Amino acid sequence: MERLEESTTDGHWLREYARDHVVHGLVILAFFLYPPVYGLLVDSPLGFEAEAFLPGLTFMIVVLYLGLFAMSFDFVSGYTGYLSFGHAAFYGTGAYFVVLAANGQVPGIPDGTPFMITMLLGAFLAGVLALAIGAVSFRLTGVYFAMITLGFAQVLYELIRNWGFVSANPREGATISGDGLEIGVPYVESLSFAVGRLTGDSFENVLGTGIDISTTMTSYYALAVVVLVCYFAMQRIIHSPFGTVMIAIRENEERAEAIGYNVFWYKMGAFAMSAFFAAIAGALFAAYSRSVSPENTYFFLVTADALIVTIVGGIGTLAGPLFGTVFHEWLEDVLSTENEGVATYLRETLSEGVLATDIAGFTLADVINSAVDGRAPLYLGIVFVLFVLFVPNGLLGSVRDRLGGTVAKRAPTLLERYRR
Amino acid sequence: MIGEYLALALATPDAPLVADALQRFFRPSTFARLVVEGLGKAAVYFILAVGLTLVFGLMGVLNFAHGAFAMLGAYLGGVLMVVALAGGAGPFTTVAFFFVVAAVVFALLTAVGSALEVSLIRPIYDRTPMYQILLTFGVGLILEEATRIVATLQGIQPEPQWQAPMGTLPDALAARYDILGANIRGLYLFEIGLGVLAAVGVWLFLTRTLYGLYIRAGSEDPEMVEALGIDVRKAFTIVFGLGTGLAAVGGVLLMWDPVWGPSVLLNIDVLLYAFVVVIIGGLGSFKGTLVAAVIVGVADSFTTWLFTTGIVDFSGLPEITIFLLLVIALIVRPQGLYGVEEVGGH
Repeated sequence: MERLEESTTDGHWLREYARDHVVHGLVILAFFLYPPVYGLLVDSPLGFEAEAFLPGLTFMIVVLYLGLFAMSFDFVSGYTGYLSFGHAAFYGTGAYFVVLAANGQVPGIPDGTPFMITMLLGAFLAGVLALAIGAVSFRLTGVYFAMITLGFAQVLYELIRNWGFVSANPREGATISGDGLEIGVPYVESLSFAVGRLTGDSFENVLGTGIDISTTMTSYYALAVVVLVCYFAMQRIIHSPFGTVMIAIRENEERAEAIGYNVFWYKMGAFAMSAFFAAIAGALFAAYSRSVSPENTYFFLVTADALIVTIVGGIGTLAGPLFGTVFHEWLEDVLSTENEGVATYLRETLSEGVLATDIAGFTLADVINSAVDGRAPLYLGIVFVLFVLFVPNGLLGSVRDRLGGTVAKRAPTLLERYRR
Repeated sequence: MIGEYLALALATPDAPLVADALQRFFRPSTFARLVVEGLGKAAVYFILAVGLTLVFGLMGVLNFAHGAFAMLGAYLGGVLMVVALAGGAGPFTTVAFFFVVAAVVFALLTAVGSALEVSLIRPIYDRTPMYQILLTFGVGLILEEATRIVATLQGIQPEPQWQAPMGTLPDALAARYDILGANIRGLYLFEIGLGVLAAVGVWLFLTRTLYGLYIRAGSEDPEMVEALGIDVRKAFTIVFGLGTGLAAVGGVLLMWDPVWGPSVLLNIDVLLYAFVVVIIGGLGSFKGTLVAAVIVGVADSFTTWLFTTGIVDFSGLPEITIFLLLVIALIVRPQGLYGVEEVGGH
């Protein structure tokens, strides 16, 4: 593809840096403004529609940790080309480690250790686990690599599902018994915020602006900061020489080896780092939901979800999985009744007569109940198949192809062209 | 952590119990019973997995929708059995009906699989194998959720297992028989019979028909098959259809199985078990699938026995053993027991 002229030789390094990150800034701003804007819309006359068609705040929190997990999955699968089909093992390790540590069940970790520290310890543990799994798995390629990682993850899943130490009923999972977990700078009281579903910190009249921040919003912003740091860390790695070798391995492993890189250790490094970030995502999930179960951490379908959103968002683009997750969670939200979704909207706006309409022996109400309410996997599956067939590069990948470079790099040039 | 865990898992109440259990284990009748049960499970696993390996052998496509087809087979078979036997019937009529139902489901799902291959998979053969995995996985997801919707509308779910088809199992098969001192459930013998039938059928198909020849050639050297001017597109369609049909027949068999039964959850369960069998045996190898099914089936029955007798009080023992077998097989012999190295180029 024809490349546009680079014109970034003017000005201060700071201005250039800002130029390169204009798009990042816009995305961060959008995420930052979403909760208040959503709040305003819900209070407006269009509130009913907003609740029905926009993702609620709790779902945006899910976007944050699942998006980070999907990014970590893409980090190894999209950039080195090795499909890590058991990635849920690392997510689960992070989540379970945090819960067990919070309950004082991990030997050597005293009660009351700050969450940020247990989170990092859990992430290191996942990294070590990844090295152990990678040591035997990286002899294999393609489908066989996907299968051996899946095998390891399923072994861990069965272990955790039947291990009485985790909780009295390990199949149900474990719950944090004490207070909520705090995200922030350990040992600095004023910079730590308790996060959690239904619990957590709330702030009224922040800095005298008259804006109130609810507990959910606090959780959202606190989690978002961690995800943001992780995103930039991963972005930094991918744009470093190490990341270039990862991409070289994806494109042609034999050639990368011939040039003189020890591809095995590069793959191991990428796998361990990816596991590290996956475990952080798991830890955030555990901190927010305060309970974990084998099904939503270690199970094969957790990886499958990450895979789906990665394809929809664009495999081999770090931010793509996040946008894919936004789509996924938006779909889940509008199709569920938990948060006043489309099903509720239809039931309340359609008249009794219409709802009782007969469709092949069932009333319309029946059809709405069974074909709309909570049926996100069906529609997600259809969208996913259409993407695989017609948009193989995903949302962000396609935009990138159209622009002829990464969005962050091309956007300033494009903006400048339109400004003239 | 693991050591502590193992100590926990192996914590046995008292030594006499273990000695007693071991004594019982080495009693020929117990041993024979476990082997026969294992072979029964092996027959089911074989039927569930063989379609997957056929498809991979020729096309290099790892079909992630395989479990969904088995699930459809279980539901369709269940509905047909329940409707056909609404008035109740004798054991012979029931078994005869079972074969009719299996044949109908096989034909139906073969057609569905062929249509799917033509419409969705054919356009993406020129891409990397990952996209075929993704596509079939998406199809499996859609089928699972669509089945769930239909099942909810018809009032079959949300019970995780739809019990009605299990009620059609004739008493003659549910009963236990004393054969040479071993106490064996009739259903296992029935399953073994069907497994042998399926194995012979697939073997005859592979060795005696033109398309069988294509598959065997294709799993050795796909490029050469194409270069020889064989109409690979048509072969792909037929083989994918047959693989789908075989999965569905496996599903029909699961409908009667006390451990499984028709349920939407079959999709993932069957998929994982079929993967384990196919990978251990070597992707694309018929002989490997057969041997791996026997290994997995016998391991399953022995570990289930170990748990139920209380020697090991770790309830996940059968499942974990099976996935450990997968991992060990891949470590020791990456291409599987009878697999060709680097099948499908990946």
